Amino acid sequence: MSTPVIELEQVRKSFVMPGGERVPVLDIDAFAVADREQCALTGQSGSGKSTLLHVISGIMRPDGGRVVVDGHDLTRLGEAATDRLRADTLGLVFQHFNLLPGFTALENVLVAMSFGSGRPSRPRAADLLASVGLSHRLHHRPGELSIGQQQRVAVARALANRPRVILADEPTASIDTAHQDQVIELLKSTCAEQGVALLVVTHSPEVAARFPKRLRLEDFNRAATHHG
Amino acid sequence: MSLFGIAWRNIRQRLLTSVLTALSLGLGVALVVSTLVIGDIVKQAFNSGSGLGYNMIVGAKGSPLQLVLNSVYLISKPIENISWAFYEEFLPAAARTDGAAGRYAGSVQTAVPICMGDYFRGFRVVGTNAAYFDKLTWGGGGAPAGLGRRLRRAVGLADARVEPRAFAFASGRNFRDDEFFGGVLGCDVAAKLGLRAGDPFAPTHGADDGLVHDPFTVTGILARTDTPVDRGVYVNMEGFYLQEGHAKPAAEEAAVKPAPVDDHATSPVPLPASQREVTAILVETAALPGLPAELTAMGLRTAINEGRDGQAAEPIREISVLLDLFVRPLELLLLLVTTLVVIVSAIGILVSMVGSSLERSRDVAVMRALGARRSHVLATVLLEAVLLAAGGGIVGWGLGHALVAAVGPLITTNAGVSASLLSSAPAAEMLLVPFLIGLAILAALIPALAAYRTDVAKWLG
Repeated sequence: MSTPVIELEQVRKSFVMPGGERVPVLDIDAFAVADREQCALTGQSGSGKSTLLHVISGIMRPDGGRVVVDGHDLTRLGEAATDRLRADTLGLVFQHFNLLPGFTALENVLVAMSFGSGRPSRPRAADLLASVGLSHRLHHRPGELSIGQQQRVAVARALANRPRVILADEPTASIDTAHQDQVIELLKSTCAEQGVALLVVTHSPEVAARFPKRLRLEDFNRAATHHG
Repeated sequence: MSLFGIAWRNIRQRLLTSVLTALSLGLGVALVVSTLVIGDIVKQAFNSGSGLGYNMIVGAKGSPLQLVLNSVYLISKPIENISWAFYEEFLPAAARTDGAAGRYAGSVQTAVPICMGDYFRGFRVVGTNAAYFDKLTWGGGGAPAGLGRRLRRAVGLADARVEPRAFAFASGRNFRDDEFFGGVLGCDVAAKLGLRAGDPFAPTHGADDGLVHDPFTVTGILARTDTPVDRGVYVNMEGFYLQEGHAKPAAEEAAVKPAPVDDHATSPVPLPASQREVTAILVETAALPGLPAELTAMGLRTAINEGRDGQAAEPIREISVLLDLFVRPLELLLLLVTTLVVIVSAIGILVSMVGSSLERSRDVAVMRALGARRSHVLATVLLEAVLLAAGGGIVGWGLGHALVAAVGPLITTNAGVSASLLSSAPAAEMLLVPFLIGLAILAALIPALAAYRTDVAKWLG
């Protein structure tokens, strides 16, 4: 296995319920995604898939352990540095696309660029959209795009700052079966072309089956085993 | 894309709410601007009247303020008339028929009589003599009102004292004392009524719909002074006296019939002194040897006020009293009320932004997931508020000036000062900008902090 771009060691995360009860969600001894690797992560509902992605992306801090992304231990970084690392190193694709509704496709990509270290570039943003087949929809707002087109914009936006890895959280959950294949193929091919690692979280065995590496969260997350 | 661009897109995304919010703020700003501007032009106009080349007004006993308002600003009503004999007390021996110097002549450098009570198409008619424009000056005391003064104030320069200036004519000339039916128009009168030198005009008695008098001829149009003189119609008082209703009733044998129009060319007979009265006398006191001019004026004023014939008022003192007792408190009150309106409008920004906070939270969470720092989202929300305030402020500024222009004629009629679209109160208006921005930031602080503290994981679901 080549150098990992994501590496988790002894990561624990729990939530405190309104009654004061502490519910463990993540208890992972080790987890890694190698450079340029494409991996599907499955798990039952409530198994902690989204929490794992939030911890990897620095949106949530673990209660303990190490989360290393592109060689940087997020647990030792301040919030601003984590934000910067997230902008520069990670590309996120969400289940509901989460495009900014008031912004055009091009602007959605430019917004992501504006938080990275590089200068926002309209030509590059347009190229990214062209690479996902949306050169004719640059100035359309999300509401004017089909579901499939919105997902393509989300993929282009995830690639805006030349990330090392893309984290996709149930990218096909909101679309029909016919489009699922297209989206997965788009993610895989685009990441392969750009040399970017890909971690797709999905509850769908069909989607997971399209990846050479498949992991079940329940297999390495002790909290999911106990909870699920 | 800059934070400015993101803030602008957020505003466009909620266009209707944003427009209504900015508009409500704009209306508040319009009220403040119009209050500031009108207050400033009223003060400027009153101050401009304090340097009219005379330092004392003598008139009938009564309110000194009314005397000043009527004589200097051509507003309010005349108190009463004073006798010709009393006027002659201010004249030197050479100017009197009896060859003896008047009682107050020694303290007087110039004494110009004015007679009021007639109108010409909404403007006051002042009967006077040629000395009004030959001997009196304007602009002494402070810088003249108008653009120059406004520019000086805008760049923070104090008003420079300017030397009194002689009246100049944009066209034509002053009337001569022997031109009984000659008249001079202030520049605003000529511009508004489209009159030129050589044109005839017929004043009306007592009001615009009063008895129409004999026509006078415009001998000249004054150059702009930015003083109340610009709004006056000045006629030779000899012709004024000959109009119906202007002669004081006299004994039957002494009465003189007013001259008909046709008699103009054949030098009409002047009204005898016994039938003359004047409304007021504009007096420039003399600087007596070894005595400061102020002391001369004080002594003269005391002497006149102790007598029964009339009163002496000092325009600067009365204007100061007017400003201190009436204009400034009223202006302050209006300013307080309108400032409250702006604050309420700013709360509108807060309500609008809090109202859209649910929608905003999701967008903020997405931006944070894309790598935006907390400071980015805080700044974006504050920028939105600043943009709304700036937009509303600009609209309000324009509306405020439009409002001033709209009520300008009303101000001119009731207060005797001119107001237009370009009238401004630069210093106060410039202070309004940081005030508005500060207020907007303050109002947006709550939604901005809410955005700052957005739970990203919760909103990403």
